Amino acid sequence: MSATGQVIEVTIDPKGQSTVQTRGFIGPSCRQASWFLEQALGERTGEQLTPEFHQQESTPQRLTQRP
Amino acid sequence: MSHIVTIKTRLTDAAALAAACRRLRLAEPVSGTTQLYSASAQGLIVQLPGWLYPVVVDTAKGEVQYDNFEGCWGSQSELDSLLQAYAVEKARIEARRGGHSVSEQALPDGSIKLTIQVGGGSVSAIGGAA
Repeated sequence: MSATGQVIEVTIDPKGQSTVQTRGFIGPSCRQASWFLEQALGERTGEQLTPEFHQQESTPQRLTQRP
Repeated sequence: MSHIVTIKTRLTDAAALAAACRRLRLAEPVSGTTQLYSASAQGLIVQLPGWLYPVVVDTAKGEVQYDNFEGCWGSQSELDSLLQAYAVEKARIEARRGGHSVSEQALPDGSIKLTIQVGGGSVSAIGGAA
């Protein structure tokens, strides 16, 4: 796993068709991360979104105390 | 997992095609025009094992032209192997270009799996050709 835990897996079947899967990305950033590979390999024939895709990146909550 | 995309391979990169031929221990592609039975074709010519006529790759269109007479003049599996090797080499080239590390694994069903660590930076192979 990379330092960021973000991985792109490419599985090429014996007929030469590729499946690209992203792991460790939150939200639509996975599309940007794997776009360079998808475009380089050929023509998209399908896409499946996973639950992680619909997750929002968490933003730290900060509490402030008024004087 | 975030999303899964399936891709039909298009052969657009001459360097990846040459690397695929080396991986399969085939002669390097040669640029030119050749005869495919009744028609001629121009592009990068690759001779597949046991094929009567070569296959011709048009990298501008990403297409392969061939005439194997429905398998009588050459086994489809040889062409499939070339497509697979091309996709592996193309993905490795693009991953390296992006500064990512790549590991390779041969799967029992004949597939090849590449694991690309985003932001990695080196290349290794597990159970597959380097």
